[in-house]
Amino acid sequence: MENESPSMEHVDHILIVDDDREIRELLSSYLKKNGLRASIAADGRQMRAFLEANTVDLIVLDVMMPGDDGLVLCRELRAGRHKATPILMLTARNDEMDRVLGLEMGADDYLAKPFAARELLARIKAVLRRTRMLPPNLQISEAGRILSFGDWRLDTVGRHLLDREGTAIALSGAEYRLLRVFVDHPQRVLNRDQLLNLTQGRDADLFDRSIDLLVSRLRQRLGDDAREPLYIKTVRSEGYVFSVPIEIVEQR
Amino acid sequence: MSGLRWPATLRARIFLILFVGLAVAYALSFTVLSIERYLTAKELMLGTLENDVATSIAVLDQLPAGERPRFVGRLGRGNYQFVLGEGVPGAPDTSRHGAEIAARIEAATGHRFPLSLETTPGDVQRLQAHLSLSDGSPLTIDIMPRGVMPVADWLPYVFIVQMALLMLCAWYAVRQATRPLGRLAEAAETLDPNRRGPALDETGPSEVAHAAAAFNAMRERIAHYLEERVQILAAISHDLQTPITRMRLRADMADDTPERDKLVRDLAEIERLVQDGIAYARSAHSSGEKATRIDLSSFIDSIAYDYQDIGKAVRVSGVVSGTVATKPHALRRIIANFVDNALKYAGSAEISVVRGGDGRTVIAVFDRGPGIPDDRLEAAMKPFFRLEGSRNRETGGAGLGLAIAQQLAASIGGAVRLCNRPGGGLAAEIVLP
Repeated sequence: MENESPSMEHVDHILIVDDDREIRELLSSYLKKNGLRASIAADGRQMRAFLEANTVDLIVLDVMMPGDDGLVLCRELRAGRHKATPILMLTARNDEMDRVLGLEMGADDYLAKPFAARELLARIKAVLRRTRMLPPNLQISEAGRILSFGDWRLDTVGRHLLDREGTAIALSGAEYRLLRVFVDHPQRVLNRDQLLNLTQGRDADLFDRSIDLLVSRLRQRLGDDAREPLYIKTVRSEGYVFSVPIEIVEQR
Repeated sequence: MSGLRWPATLRARIFLILFVGLAVAYALSFTVLSIERYLTAKELMLGTLENDVATSIAVLDQLPAGERPRFVGRLGRGNYQFVLGEGVPGAPDTSRHGAEIAARIEAATGHRFPLSLETTPGDVQRLQAHLSLSDGSPLTIDIMPRGVMPVADWLPYVFIVQMALLMLCAWYAVRQATRPLGRLAEAAETLDPNRRGPALDETGPSEVAHAAAAFNAMRERIAHYLEERVQILAAISHDLQTPITRMRLRADMADDTPERDKLVRDLAEIERLVQDGIAYARSAHSSGEKATRIDLSSFIDSIAYDYQDIGKAVRVSGVVSGTVATKPHALRRIIANFVDNALKYAGSAEISVVRGGDGRTVIAVFDRGPGIPDDRLEAAMKPFFRLEGSRNRETGGAGLGLAIAQQLAASIGGAVRLCNRPGGGLAAEIVLP
């Protein structure tokens, strides 16, 4: 619908930074075909020059680049005036260290090369949705942070919970994404559609669990009693609310 | 001779050779010395005997019969006495030794007094020589031959001390020779090119120092080759990923045709092979991952849920509880590789955690697939192993899953076990330290 009236609607502007000419051109034309604005930069220098004159909604950043690599550029962006611009990292290999480093440098999400164009589009949309729904007091992508609530701490880099003794409680991918949505929107009632919408990002087409089942699994992880839940409360005929205040604990 | 076993250790062998050699040489020179001394002493004794006895006989012969008893006592020596009279009758002596003594005394007296030699009954070491003086009166020489070579009391002690000294020296020499060898073997055994342990000490005798230096150089080379292998694989994969990404994107841009789908599948296959290769090369090197204490129940559940969420039949059986300290990413990858195999060959998997009696935690992944023939269970953990007939698209792959799992298991101090289940299917287990 929105594609038909671009003059009326805001069209998201994506900047693609990749040293491979073909990849950036292919990506740019794919994103344009799917109703986004896309610009390209071959390296850090071009990226900086472009950002001087333009504003973008999201930057797709390749990690492996000659000269300043993606991690360096990501840190630079986070430190400067573009610190609120979402960044999606393209890691050259499916490497845990790259992923952790990228997230620590402040990337909002990552995608391992090679990837399906469809997957990139889904991720871009998910990241944009997530950052827009964020309350202004909670800046996403604080480097290497740990969120604390109630008896728990959530490690957003390791993607697991930590109990009082520091034991890691693992979360499945879907559980983590749902919890992340809750802690990013504390004290806000979220209905099932919103939750589904926000939780979908990665493996969007493969996600087939109902939100209610996921919530009950998450409650189990948090040691929450379904009848008198402490963390995730049920709001009748509306949805769920995360009712505990969140604190950002910086931990390096 | 076959009952005697050649000792197994070099130390014992060299010690034995040195010790036996030295002991035999020592015994030989001791024997030669003894014989020489015996002969000299015997010559000396017989010489004294013949001269003294001949002189004494001549003196007694010249003395008047009445004077003789006064001198008899004085002419005696330690090993013989003169007795006037017939003496004690005995058996004629037939020994070579006795005949020699008699012959020499007779010769010394100019054969004027024929001797008859008799052994006295009862006492073995006693001889009596009978002769008649020129006036016809009988004379008896009572001979008590003493041992020709009295051995000093302290000699055995000297011998023992010398033997002890010999043993000590042999042992010290053997230790000098074999200890560096032991150190070298130990260093080779604990050789781990991934970990930069202390280099072998390059001091000591020149041969030992040389061997140690050569060993250290070899270790450096191995580490270098391993590093190079990882670098080459990483470089290949990186260089491959760019064209694969391009092809993938081009395929995505193309029209939706069966050909396009096939291309996408092929690309996915190539990508997986590249990634498996990288994972295998990397798994040999300990990753920088830190060990954390993890809750087992949520850990196993999260793996099963991740599979369930993409529609795979993976379930957790039994009650899981407790915590373990391990590297979670490595452990997750090991279990995921087991589960992937189970899904590939059986279509479903079951994860179970058992606490062994020795406090070890065993995480097992069961399936009801075809299993692996018992004689090939070991080979299944080698890289690039694949069951016969599985080289098709459905169950293909590089055959690195279990090899990666095994290397990762080693990096977290655990071990991978495979066994066929009663009733069919495979059990793949990781035993945590």
